[in-house]
Amino acid sequence: MLKKEHNDLLTQTGPETPFGRMFRCYWMPALLAEELPENDCPPVRVKLLSERLIAFRDSEGRYGLMDEFCAHRGISLWFGRNEECGLRCPYHGWKYDVAGQCVDMPNEPEHSAFAKKVKLKSYPLVERGGVLWTYMGPAEQQPPLPEYEFATVPAAQTYTSKRFQECNWLQAMEGGIDSSHVSFLHRGDINTDPLFKGARGNQYNLGDLRPVFEVVESAGGLFIGARRNAENGYYYWRITQWVMPSYTIIPPRGTHSVHGHFWIPIDDENCWAWSFDYHPTRALTEAELTAMRAGKGIHAKVDSQYRPLANKDNDYLMDRAAQKAGKTYSGIEGFAMQDASLQESMGPIIDRTKETLVSTDSGIIMARQKLLHAIRAFTEQGVVPPGVSLEHQRVRSAAVVLPPDQPFKDAAREALIAHPGVAPASV
Amino acid sequence: MQSESARMSSAAEARFRIQSPPPTNRAVKVIDLDVASDADVMRLMNEIPHADLVMMVVSAGGNTEAVSAIGTVCSDLRVMTHTVVIRDDSASEAATSQTLGEVRPWSLMVVVVNRRDYVDDILRSFR
Repeated sequence: MLKKEHNDLLTQTGPETPFGRMFRCYWMPALLAEELPENDCPPVRVKLLSERLIAFRDSEGRYGLMDEFCAHRGISLWFGRNEECGLRCPYHGWKYDVAGQCVDMPNEPEHSAFAKKVKLKSYPLVERGGVLWTYMGPAEQQPPLPEYEFATVPAAQTYTSKRFQECNWLQAMEGGIDSSHVSFLHRGDINTDPLFKGARGNQYNLGDLRPVFEVVESAGGLFIGARRNAENGYYYWRITQWVMPSYTIIPPRGTHSVHGHFWIPIDDENCWAWSFDYHPTRALTEAELTAMRAGKGIHAKVDSQYRPLANKDNDYLMDRAAQKAGKTYSGIEGFAMQDASLQESMGPIIDRTKETLVSTDSGIIMARQKLLHAIRAFTEQGVVPPGVSLEHQRVRSAAVVLPPDQPFKDAAREALIAHPGVAPASV
Repeated sequence: MQSESARMSSAAEARFRIQSPPPTNRAVKVIDLDVASDADVMRLMNEIPHADLVMMVVSAGGNTEAVSAIGTVCSDLRVMTHTVVIRDDSASEAATSQTLGEVRPWSLMVVVVNRRDYVDDILRSFR
């Protein structure tokens, strides 16, 4: 369980909240690059960390992310005209550049300097790895661009999707570090999903439903090792990495791509679940990309607003017959919605004062505590939180078979670092 | 009309959840192996039959002599074992690895932390 004040602290990320200020220390995925596909394309509404923003791509390909509403009369700039290097409010013609600077004010005298004094709050928006990243903190503390491996490999080697999730970011993210649910909730899919099936490690997963866990602090967050029995007394280790505040990398399976998530608060009751697949040493195949686009693996089928087609309004397309037949464990299809359906069922913000945690929840417990410690250090002493450093971001997950006397963190030390061009450790 | 899932996962419906958490009366026994005496270990051994969870705390490179005895009793009685290894700044990698090797066979959950105050945080989480 968690005290109410700590639950509030971890689940509130608006601009004036302690965690909101700390979350703004990081570069975050804001949009898929495909959402702003060409110069002067329609602007896109964005809500992040409880701030309503508008994103656009100007006539010269520059990206802008700024306050959604015109400084003049508060009109949403979603209705704006994206033209000639700026976004123009259709009400009275005020025009803003990608930095939020008002550059034209046609209802003022022709040579008035007043426009120069009007600037909307804006944030940098930068493309990297098919994702548009933003940094919403103080400009003078802006860190270098992110170097998560999925965003730095060549474009042909990576694929990213996003889906709207209707609950607080933390209960969604906690699913990403809760390795013990995989053998239950996802057991029907491990051997059938095209992006998972065929790996030797799957048999260890399904053959040992009582994994033993080791949670180890890392510089940027946590290593979460799940140990299952392999042959001849050896152990099969799946090592998930969590990098603060909300980056999780799932251990790979066989020769499949590596995948993971980012969990980004939209507001306190909704979040974006970002899902990526990449391979450090090869291009993704057409078959893999087709499967990912079709919502296989950790991705989901979504509508034009990135809301999953299976959602709470249609009871997630619950299929009791498939549940009964064991085709799916919960009756919901696909890894992503199996997780999201249960996490949304907790309510918009789960009351963690009423939980009954057990030892296998130690990854979740430690993640919360590390976040609380970081918030305290950041708030009271200005300490830059873990995960901002590029070194903390250049990490990987791993799946390995080890002799019983070898600690995973030592034996897999190099496998847990992202070395460009080196294949992932996978079973 | 809203689906049942949409209706029941709303903030409005959360008000109708039963407010008192389920009583667990979980019995958690904790032993700090860095400072435990033989008498402390014996006392713990006698308490294990009534425990739901035994937490052993030890510093990297610390005294793990009692781990196997405690672990054996817990294993026989099907009591969960949870070990917290404290790896402070002075602990070497070798010491941490050695301690992990010694506690791992007797621990169903191992957590390696850099600060001792995490032990209290973990215990509070178990309520």
